[in-house]
Amino acid sequence: MYIIIIGGGQVGYYLAKALLDEGHELLVLEKDAARTAFICNELGSVCIRGDGCEMATLEEAGAGRAEMFVAVTGDDEDNLVSCQAAKHKFNVPRTVARVNNPKNETIFKKMGIDVTISSTKIILESIEEEVPTHPITHLLDIQEQGLEIVEIKIPPHATTIGKTVKELPLPAGNTLSLVIRGQQKPFVPDEDTVLEAEDQIVAITTPETEEALETALRGS
Amino acid sequence: MEFNKILVPVTGTTADDEVIKLACQLAKKSKAKIWTVYVLTVKRTLPLDVEITPDVKKAEEVLDHITIVAEDEGYEVETDLLQAREAGPTIVDEAVEREADLILMGVVYKRIFGQFSLGSVVPYVLQNAPCEVILYHQYTP
Repeated sequence: MYIIIIGGGQVGYYLAKALLDEGHELLVLEKDAARTAFICNELGSVCIRGDGCEMATLEEAGAGRAEMFVAVTGDDEDNLVSCQAAKHKFNVPRTVARVNNPKNETIFKKMGIDVTISSTKIILESIEEEVPTHPITHLLDIQEQGLEIVEIKIPPHATTIGKTVKELPLPAGNTLSLVIRGQQKPFVPDEDTVLEAEDQIVAITTPETEEALETALRGS
Repeated sequence: MEFNKILVPVTGTTADDEVIKLACQLAKKSKAKIWTVYVLTVKRTLPLDVEITPDVKKAEEVLDHITIVAEDEGYEVETDLLQAREAGPTIVDEAVEREADLILMGVVYKRIFGQFSLGSVVPYVLQNAPCEVILYHQYTP
C-alpha cells in the first residue's frame, strides 16, 4: 500500500519506520531540511522536503495514487488542510489526522477526515481507566453516529444501590449493555436487574447525555 | 591501484564511453569484474514497478552500446537496468550488495543557473559510497 505521511517529527518518523517494516511503500513530507536529511539517513530515500499543504508538492509526492494519507504534524491547521486536499483534490480513499487540540476533533470529522487521533484524549482515557476515583471511563467513540461506549462504576455510597434499572431516570437513547459484578460472569442487564455496590456498568451514551447517565447510575 | 569488483553507473552521456574504457584498463591488471548499471528514476506519481517503454528502450540502448565499447577494449562487462526513486542511494546500495571496491563515475560539465554543478547524484555517492570512488570529469573545450 502506498502511504503518504505529512510531518517528519517524532510521530511521523516512528510511524514511517513501523510501516516500512510492514512492507508498505511510503513517503514522508517534511518542511525542515535538517529533519528531512535525518530521516533519509536513517530510513533511506523515503522523505522529501516540502509543504504538505501545497498542491504542487502533493502532486509531486504522488498523492493521486496514494491509498492512505496520514497527517501527523504538531499543527492542527496543517493536518486539516493537507488531509482535505488529499481527500477532495486527489481522492485518497483513507485520510488519518492527528488532532492536537481535542476540541478540533469535531471540525475534522465535519470536514470529512476519515480517522482522527487525539493523543491528549488517549492519555486522558488512560488516566480515567487507571485512576479508580474517576467515575466514567470512555471505552470507545462511535464517531459516525455520535455515540460513545462508557464504563461507570457504582461507588459503595451511591444512592442508586438496591434500585432496579427501570427505576433509574436513564436519559433517552441511552442503553445499559453489560454489568460486570465481582467475580461473576458479566451479564446483560434487564429492567429488573438490581444495582449493587462496585458494579461496573458498560453503557452506550452520547457526549451530551453522558453526565445525565452518570447521575442516573450513581445518584446525585 | 588494484580493484576486483568495479561498479560503473552510466547515464547515456558522452562521458560513458571514456569511463568504461578507463574501467576496462583498471580491470585488466587484476582481471576484475565490471558491472555497469543504468538507474531509471521513476517519479513518485507512478508505481516503482511501472514499465516506461521509451525510457527502458533508451536505457537498453545505452547498456548495449557500453557492452560494445567494452568488447572493443577486449573486456566483458555485466549490465543491469534498475528502476528506483533516486539514483544516488540506488548506486550506493548496489555497491554494497555487490561488494564493489570501486565506483567509477563519469560526469559532463554542466551549469545550473550559470554555476558549475555536479548535480545531486555524484555528491551523494561521494558522501555515502562504501568503497573508493573515481570521478571522471569530461573535458569540454
